[in-house]
Order: sequence, then structure tokens, then C-alpha cells
Amino acid sequence: MRARLATISLTLALLPLAGPAHAHPEFEKAIEARSGRTIDCAFCHAHPDGPEGVHAGQIGALSPADMQALNRARTAFEPGTEVDSPILNDFGDHLVTALGKKRLVALRQAPLKMVDELGDSDLDGDGISDAQEMLDGTHPLMRHHGAPWSLFVVNLQRSWFEIVMLIIATFFGVYGISHLLRWFGHEARGALGGEEDPKDG
Amino acid sequence: MDAFLYVGLPYLSLTILVVGTIVRFRQAPFSVSSLSSQVLERKKLALGTVPWHLGILVLLAGHLVAFLVPDIWRSLTANHAFLLTVEVIGFAAAAMAAFGLGTLVYRRLVTARLQAVTNRMDLVVLGLLLVQVLVGISVALSARWGAQWSAGTTSPYLWSLLTFQPDLTYVADLPPSVRLHLGLAWLTFALIPFTRLIHGFSIPLGYLVRAPQQVIWATRRRLARDTARAGGVSPETSRRHFVKGLGGLFAAGVLMSVGVLDKLVGYFKGQRLERSEQVDLLEKKLERLRATSEEQALELERLEKDAILVAQLGQLDPRQGRYFIDYQMRPALAFKGADQLPILISAKCTHLGCTVASDVNDKGQILCPCHISYFDIKTGAPNPGAPAKAPLPRIGWLLKDTKGTVVMTQDGAGNRTWPEGEDAIAPDALDGLQVWIAKRFEEGA
Amino acid sequence: MKPATRTRRFVAFLAERLPAEKMSLQAMVQKKEVPVHRWSWAYYLGGLALFFFVIQIVTGLMMLFYYEPSVATAHASVEHLTNNVPGGALIRNLHAWSSSAMILSVMLHLLTTFAMKAFGRPRELTWVSGVLLLFLVFGFGFTGYLLPWHQIAVNATKVGLGSIEQFGEYLPGDLADLPRQIRETIQGGATVGQATLSRFYAIHVVVLPLISLGLLGFHLLSVQLHGMSPGVDRPTGRTEKFFPLFILKDLKVWGVVFLMLAVVAICIPFDAFLDYPLGAPYNPLGSTPDGIKPEWYFFWMYYPLELLPFWLVAGGMGVLQVGLLLVPRIFRGTSRKVLRTLAAAAAVYLIVITLFGQAIYEMFSGGH
Repeated sequence: MRARLATISLTLALLPLAGPAHAHPEFEKAIEARSGRTIDCAFCHAHPDGPEGVHAGQIGALSPADMQALNRARTAFEPGTEVDSPILNDFGDHLVTALGKKRLVALRQAPLKMVDELGDSDLDGDGISDAQEMLDGTHPLMRHHGAPWSLFVVNLQRSWFEIVMLIIATFFGVYGISHLLRWFGHEARGALGGEEDPKDG
Repeated sequence: MDAFLYVGLPYLSLTILVVGTIVRFRQAPFSVSSLSSQVLERKKLALGTVPWHLGILVLLAGHLVAFLVPDIWRSLTANHAFLLTVEVIGFAAAAMAAFGLGTLVYRRLVTARLQAVTNRMDLVVLGLLLVQVLVGISVALSARWGAQWSAGTTSPYLWSLLTFQPDLTYVADLPPSVRLHLGLAWLTFALIPFTRLIHGFSIPLGYLVRAPQQVIWATRRRLARDTARAGGVSPETSRRHFVKGLGGLFAAGVLMSVGVLDKLVGYFKGQRLERSEQVDLLEKKLERLRATSEEQALELERLEKDAILVAQLGQLDPRQGRYFIDYQMRPALAFKGADQLPILISAKCTHLGCTVASDVNDKGQILCPCHISYFDIKTGAPNPGAPAKAPLPRIGWLLKDTKGTVVMTQDGAGNRTWPEGEDAIAPDALDGLQVWIAKRFEEGA
Repeated sequence: MKPATRTRRFVAFLAERLPAEKMSLQAMVQKKEVPVHRWSWAYYLGGLALFFFVIQIVTGLMMLFYYEPSVATAHASVEHLTNNVPGGALIRNLHAWSSSAMILSVMLHLLTTFAMKAFGRPRELTWVSGVLLLFLVFGFGFTGYLLPWHQIAVNATKVGLGSIEQFGEYLPGDLADLPRQIRETIQGGATVGQATLSRFYAIHVVVLPLISLGLLGFHLLSVQLHGMSPGVDRPTGRTEKFFPLFILKDLKVWGVVFLMLAVVAICIPFDAFLDYPLGAPYNPLGSTPDGIKPEWYFFWMYYPLELLPFWLVAGGMGVLQVGLLLVPRIFRGTSRKVLRTLAAAAAVYLIVITLFGQAIYEMFSGGH
């Protein structure tokens, strides 16, 4: 415990440029207000409670190698640097790469403007762009998480073949049963000796 | 030899087909017929002719599509599920055709009344068709996914014939069974004008949708009787509904079983994970196992030890609680009070057991998010009107100095003792003291 | 009344409800007729619930091949099933959507059966077994909800079990501790943990299916024995044969419903309606995330619990349960018109509380 605390203070001392190591509640609040959904730090960070702490994915649990990676990520001020920060998830890394640390910090004043600068990347490949997932408050790294209606439209197009086949099969089934029903109708009337009126049933 | 079989024969047989058909239509138009023998034998005919025609029409349609639009066909069959569906339908149709044809051959051979109207050519045609169907099935079995490869081999070959630029390279390397199938096909084409196969021209697509009809001259009276008995509905209408019904259900069943089987096989076979995926999965599992083992270590610690370290007093904060686990393995929170001494309080909501949040608001309260109860951290009391009625239990603590001597205690009710005397605690050394929870304070809680 | 008379009456009662002379294929299948009238569509609802139940069994069995019922691995195994197993997401989705669809059709079945007075003599036992099946279905929902072991699952289970403990406030003296003991017996420990998971797993996967198969057998048997109830005051006199006409129509409905279910299951992951922090693995040492709520089919009793005094709601639930079981006796002489009005009122309540429960709750509890 003590060793870990020492690491934290050491890190903070070594990184005066990087600023305090807390998550960015501005983004969280803006996304929650816009989407009406609750999110947490795991939107961009490795740990749902943010970077501070001693659990996996938090600063207190980093190895020296992780620390170096963290430092590299923190000095990625301009866009275009490939980063792999131990306290960020892939979306967090992507943000740093796409926008740069400087711009990210500046965007805290107007968090949702980030959406316009994010382009049309879609990290989880669920067919909804990361920017849109930010607006929806759905996770950009979960393939099965998205605004239900958007997912419906996307998946309808992706699985068109299965769905068309299902519709054809259902059509055949209903067609077959309808004809069997009429057949039984005829047979029943036949059994009655044609006493009933010959109306299709 | 190849040149004759796959270039000469095709043109020859197609010429014979065209010329022969025109001649036959002009000279004996009424002979363009299948020469129905329904009058002579009904039961086996129905058993044979219906599956045969259904099956062969489906098969011909499949062959035709692959030939006419090979590019579209190739992109369609690239979809695994589609390919599977098409092949299953193909096999089903082939099985139906073979069964039907077999029945028809058997009928021709054993029904005495039919012998009179059966000529040698009929037998040749039946045999040829039967062989052709069987060869086709063996092609489909030995060279799998014919629906896919045919678009790149036989289709271009046929197009090359059609455009009068015959190209043998497409068929040269095909397996013998495929070449046999092709050769027999050309032979069959040549025979069409001279046999009952000619009826294929007399009943094109209209057959599929025409009103039901049958050869009735010998049974007209009986049919009228049957119709009257069935309440004005002819038995044939009824049977047609039956056949359509079964056909529909059969088609639906085939499609559904292909789809379901496709999913089932994939599901139980599982997926070979890539290395990175495997790493991710194992890391995740290990992480959860670690969390579980940590939890169980905590439990063991609580069973074994009489006192457990929570934190250094200096690490505690008045506004932000620090979670720890009490002796009953329930979450609890530690704060620093206004008097610089610790405040330890259970974090398990007394309403329904959610875990209370750790941020203290301006009124000195913490919030349970489940049903919005605010608890005062000093007394544990919920706000008036909150869903929770009982206060959060306060937890007793010990303060130990660096040497491990207990310098101060407080039990759950708030009674304090100073085992070393009140003076043993220097106010400026407070932050260095350790906060412990003790078993003896929890017994009654 | 002499004991002998009582016994004779009891036997006569049973004989009327379970007529042995009708227990033949001919009587139960070939001769059965289904009335045709304005409400005939309601005759399909029970079959529909049965269809969804079958889907539940099939998809549930399939998930058993991958699920690991331990607190350390449950969530990871579900995640593996969803993300890595081909078709796993679809199977899980089918299970989730079909469970909702089953509960919806069961509720509708109950309401229409009530409105059509299909519980009248000699169908009392059919109704009672149906009500028991309804309880079982809710039991399925409650126990199955815990199995993925994510935040909302465990916390919602805690809340659900916690309400048992609330009875303690209304019990005198030593009895006051009884609800807590009952609760801890159900969950197998002081908190919801591994013991709870094992128990709920056993209940969800073995106990409830076995019981419901038995009850379902009885329910279907008695439906076939007594035939469909006339359902309306003035029967039109028109009927159709149960076999094969009605069965085939049933199949047709099932086919179309399966198409809709499959499309929805392919296209909309059930979890997409959840905020993702709720789907994170349960963390016993962290705080409870916002938005812990039961599934929609518990809203009708969840929101009253949130808004009204506990004793009132608990008492109401008790009355409702007993009342449902006793419906055939209580409403013996009630006309279908009145029953229909009652059913409509219940339907309106269910729809309003399910769709607008959250809004109503926020209105009355002041913003939260």
C-alpha cells in the first residue's frame, strides 16, 4: 500500500505538465444531460471509477512499464500520436490520438463539441459512429450496446439475408397451412355429403 | 474426342433439336404431347410424376439461373447460408426427381396395361434421364458446392458455345462425372424432338398456374358424382390444396431447418478465437477470479483476526468517504470528523441493502441512489420522509499508534475510552495514527 | 355434515372437473370444437404462451452449455457467449425477448380468460392451475434476472429480497426477526452472494421448469377435457373443429409470431435498453450505480412499492394473490359485462403503470 502511494506521489511530482490525474466529469455530465442515460468513467477509462485508485486499470496498480506508457500518452499533445495508455480504454486512446491532449483539455469547456471533431470512426463496429454513441450515451466499445432503434436499422441491413429467408420460410409455411385448411374444409364437406353450402372455409 | 463431345455434339444436338421440333410441330402438331397414360394406371403415376416434375423443374431452374447470371449467382453463393440453402434445396429436388423417375420406370416395366403403349424410345428416354439424374447427384456429392464452382466453369463454357466462340479450356480439367453429365445433357437435347420429351415445349410456364385439369374422358361420370358428393367441389381441387399445403410446409421446413442447423452447428462448434481475443478473455477471467479471491481473503481475515486495519487517519477525508468491508462482509465508509477523529459507518442502506455512495453533500449527508435516502454521517440517521427508516449503524473503531498500542477506542454507540490516558495522543500526531475496526465492537451490531 | 357425505361431495366435485370418461384421444382431440365469435382471437393467447415457453426451454438449454454459475465466472461466461460464440448473442436475445413476450401473453391470457368468464364451472381447476403458472412465470423472471451477475441483476435482486425483510416492521416481538431469517434462508447467507447464485440457478433451471411442466400438463389436460369455454353470453352457434382446423391456425399464428420474434432478436439486443454501467460485472465493494430497476413486468408492483406505504402495497399484493386464486368462487355469479369492465380497468392500470410508471414516480417523489 505504502509503496503504491509512493509511486503515485512520485508520478505526480514527475509530471507537472500533465495536470491532475482525475477523470473528466465535464464530459460525463454533458453526455448524461444530452442522452438521458447514465454513464461512468469506463466510457473512456479502463476502470469505471476513473484513474485514481489502486485497482487494475488505475494509477495505483501500474507497473513501471505501464508508467512509461502513461507518460507517453500524457505527452501526446498534438493529434496523430498512437497511444496505448494503461488507464484508458481503446476509445480513450482513440480520443487522444484523434484530437490530441491539448484539444481534449480545451474541449472541457464545451464537451459536446467533441462530437463534430471525432469524424465517423466506429470502434466497436456496431454501425453507429462513436460520435453518435457519445450523443446517445451508449458505449462506443460494446458491439451490442447502442440506441435500440439505430441498432435495429443497422442490423436489419446487415442480416437482410437471414431475415429475407425467414420471411420466405414463414410465407411458405402460412401458404401451406392455408391450403391444408382449405383441403380439410373440402374433405369435411365431402364427408357430410355436400349438404352444406359450398363456401370456402 | 473432346472437341466432338463438347463442341461438335452440342451444335449438332441443338440443331437437331431446333429443326426436329419445327418439323414435328408443322407435320404432326397434335403429337406434341406427353401421351398421358393416366387412364391406364393412376396411383403409381401420381406417386412418380408429381415428385419427378417438381424436382426436375427446380433443378432445371437452378441450372438455368447459374448459366444466365453467373456473376450475380457467384456473389450470392459467397454467402454461406445462401449456398447451404441452395444446395439443400438442390439435393431435396434431386432426391425427389430420382425417386419419381424411379417410380415411373418401375411402373412402365411392371404394369401390364402399359406395355402396349410403351415403345423402345420411351424406355431409352426414361433410362437416360434416370442415369442423368444419378450422375448429377454424384457430381453434387463428389465435387461439393457445385452451385458455387459452376458459375466459374460450366457457365462460361456454355456462354462460349452460345456466342460461337467455343472454348474447351473451361471443361477440359473438370472431373469425369461432370463431363459425363454434360455429354448426356447434349444427347438428351438431341432426343427431344423424337420422344415424349417434346411435351416440355407444349406446357411451358402456364402449367404452373393453370386451372387444375386431368384426363377425364373415361371417368367423367364418376367425377361428376364425386363432385356432387363433395358439395360442388371437385376432388381434384381438394387434392390440389393438399399438395400445395404439403409443398408449402415442406419448403418452409427445408428453409427453417437449414437456417436452424446452420446456427446450431456454429453455436455448438464454438469459435476458434484469435490469439488476442483469447488473451483478452483470459485476462478478464483472471481479473474476476482475482477479485473473488480478494473478497474471500477479506472474509477469512475477518474470521481470523480480532482487529483489522482500515486506513491511516491522515488518509481519511471529511467530504469523501473511503470504502472498507466491515466484520459482516458488508460495505462500510470511513470519514474524518470535524474533531479530526474517524467516523465509521455502515454503507449498507437500511432500506433495501444497496450500497450508499461515498460523497458527502453540504448538509453532511451521504446518498443511497436506489431509493434516494440521505443519511447523516455523524448519526447515521436518514432524512425525514426517506424510504429508509432505520439509521445506518455506526461502527466502533480503535486508534493505534505506530508501535501498535491502542491509544483510543470508540464503540458503535459512541462511547470512548483512552486506555493510555487522554494525554497519550498528541493532536499533531493524530494523522499518523492507524484506524482499526475490532471484532468486539461488531458482535452486537 | 357427515364425513361420508363430505367425501362423497369431494369425489363428485373432482369427477366433474376431471371426467374420466372423457379421457380419450377421441373426446379430447377429435370431438373438441372451438367457438367462433368476436372474441375468438383470445383462444390463441394460451397457445402463444405455450409457444414462448417452448422457445424458453430450447434457448435456455442451449445457454446451459456455456453458462458458469459462479460469482467469479458467471458474468465472464455470459460475455463470452454474447461476444465470441457464433449465434450466442442471438440465442441469449431470443431468451430475453421471448421471456418478455411470454409474460405479456400470459398476462393477456389471464385478462381475456377473466373477461370471458372461462373460469366458470367446471373449469375452476383450470383457472387455479393457470394462476399458479402465472406465479411460476414471475418466479422464472425474478430468478433468471440474477444469473448474468451484473450490477443491475444483483442489486435488483437485493432490493427484491429486501422487501421481504420489511415485513419485520409490522410483526410483534420475536416475530419481527422472522422475515430477516426467511430472507437469509432464501439467499443462503447474510448478503446476496455465491450461495444465492447457486440457489437461484437451481431454481431457475431445474425446480421451476419441473413444476411448471407438471402444472402445464394438468392445465392443458383440463383445457382439452372441458373444451373451450363459450366465452360470450350469446354464442353464435358457429364452431370449428379443434383438430385439425384450430391447431393449424395456431401453427400459423406461431409461425408469424416467430418471424417477428426472430427479427427483433436479430436486430435489437435486449441489453441495449440498459445503461451500460448496469451491465458491468457486479462489484460487491463498490457503490450501487444509479437506475436500479426490475424488469418491466414487475413495474405494476414496483412503482406502487416506491410511492405508497409498504403495508398497503404488501397487503394489496396478498389480497390480489388470494383473490386471483379464488376468482372462480368470488365471481361465480358475475355477468360477463361486469367482468369485461374489470378486466379492461386492470389492463388500463397495467399499461399506464408500465409505460408511464417512471414519469408518475418522478412527479410524486419530486424530481427523483
